Amino acid sequence: MISQLDRDLAELRQVSESYAARHQFIPDFSYPPGVRIAVNFTLDFDSMLLRRLLNEPPMQLAKGEFGGRVGIWRLIELFDAHKVKATIFTPGRACELYPQALRAAVASGHEIADHMWEHRVPKEPALEEDHLGKTVAAIEEISGRRPVGTRSGHSAALLRKHGFIYRSEGSADQWPHYVVDENGGNGLVHLPFHYVIDDAMFFSFAWLGSENAAQRITDPERVFELWWAAFRQQYREGGYLNICMHPFVSGRALRVAMLDRLITRMKELPGVWFPSCEEVACWCLERFPPRAEAA
Amino acid sequence: MPWKERYTISDEKSLADDEIRWPQGARCCVGVTVDLSVAAGPDGIRAADLTTPEAEFGANQGLSALLAVLRRYELKATFAVPGVLAHIYADPVRAVVTEGHEIAAHGFKHEDVSGLERDVERERIVRTTEILAEITGRRPTGWFSLPRQGDPFAGGTISPNTMDLLLDAGYAYMGNGLADDVPHYWVTDFASRRAMLTLPYYYHFDDQFFLMFPRKGTGLEHPDALARNWKAEFDAQYKRGRHFHMTLHPRHIGWCNRLQLLDEFLSYLRGFPGLWNPTGEECARYWLATYPASTYLRLEPSIWRDYPGSLS
Repeated sequence: MISQLDRDLAELRQVSESYAARHQFIPDFSYPPGVRIAVNFTLDFDSMLLRRLLNEPPMQLAKGEFGGRVGIWRLIELFDAHKVKATIFTPGRACELYPQALRAAVASGHEIADHMWEHRVPKEPALEEDHLGKTVAAIEEISGRRPVGTRSGHSAALLRKHGFIYRSEGSADQWPHYVVDENGGNGLVHLPFHYVIDDAMFFSFAWLGSENAAQRITDPERVFELWWAAFRQQYREGGYLNICMHPFVSGRALRVAMLDRLITRMKELPGVWFPSCEEVACWCLERFPPRAEAA
Repeated sequence: MPWKERYTISDEKSLADDEIRWPQGARCCVGVTVDLSVAAGPDGIRAADLTTPEAEFGANQGLSALLAVLRRYELKATFAVPGVLAHIYADPVRAVVTEGHEIAAHGFKHEDVSGLERDVERERIVRTTEILAEITGRRPTGWFSLPRQGDPFAGGTISPNTMDLLLDAGYAYMGNGLADDVPHYWVTDFASRRAMLTLPYYYHFDDQFFLMFPRKGTGLEHPDALARNWKAEFDAQYKRGRHFHMTLHPRHIGWCNRLQLLDEFLSYLRGFPGLWNPTGEECARYWLATYPASTYLRLEPSIWRDYPGSLS
């Protein structure tokens, strides 16, 4: 007789195994000759959209607005000065709020990628596709190109249908890898990022409804040390680092100065590559193509 | 949708560093706000907030100690004072005026006004203005709505009517805004360009979020992080020629080693030439004359649209 405990064992094992089977890692991952590490600077250009979506009060919206009026301009200037190609994950609607800033980013050669239409993925499939389609159109209008990358929970099938090749989310592996959907298809390159390398975790009050007693506000020096340690470790490994930032957070003068020091120090080492996410994804697909998908 | 209502309070892009000039060729503006409120949360000042040892300390030794440090470094500050506190502490408030600091309004009792009817809020603004005018001998020109330690967000609370009512009441500036790190305009009506001048505030430079936050006994003490934030922001803004700002509470910063920390930071500032240290009122007067909204508020025609299935 099969007990409930046996059923639990079988079920949990099955769930875990099929989740694991969706991942394809790249154990021999390497870069073009001369490159030891790729560092992706990624900007989630939420500005005030997420604040508005969560129905937060006016001062919270104004706090987000700093990102569009001030922060993004400074970060573009910083990346340009260091010849860093950044990737801006933007909500589609930000194209209507901050077209000037996004055009300036395009003119500097930075990549514009998807961060949902209004920072949410609708549950209704038709509306989800409507949102993704709107974002693709808005980004294409502003950049002259359709986006190929996303930082979102959009369905992989929909993303592949609209020409996406990568997703930058999650941390199932420290290096770029492939993930297929529940049906074993619609594989995408995954460019991992970890919340430890996310400015909002250290500098933003009331992030995602956190309680006051759980606030994570600290100073740039501490974060510099954490991020530098992460970079050093991955540099030794010949690995990958994705630094997730928000213009309303990292665009503050004290943090732009910290990033300036961080990039300067990274550049002192040989073989540090600062490409867009798209370049890393294309390198993966070209040099380490994924196994053929289930039919 | 008219304009980008409920999303945007100002123009699309701030002034660039090289557009910003300060009086007499100064390199950087340094603003100090002192918050005298003892409100713990959105209710504003309650009887329980006034009858604590910390409130007593903040009104006496803490305040005197802070005034002495400001005097030593010849710094002028703007004191944000709720109407209720001005009424209770009339003598200490007059002493602050005697030292040359500015008294600005900070709500009737520093309460959350976001749910108030327009008429009720107007009445409170009028009454607060009268109280401060009577005690200091002149009408305040600045209004603050600073955050409290018990608030769910660290930006301060206003209603959809606040800015408009403050303009009606003749206020020259709002003391705390987060959309820029220099003074900027908070637009209340797009068509007419009606706008309130707003001075920059950021909670990373506000002592209350680092000193026994969120409340005494169960809070965490990070004066070192506060000091590093002040220094890092000042260095960066000095280099850019923009604006540095800090917010202080006598009941927090006035205590022991924390006051020493402020003293050391102000001593560090003294080593930099070309600092301009206006009160909020002086800063607002300069900004309104030099960067009037008619020229420097660069509102683009809106391309924002409403879509079915999207937030409006």
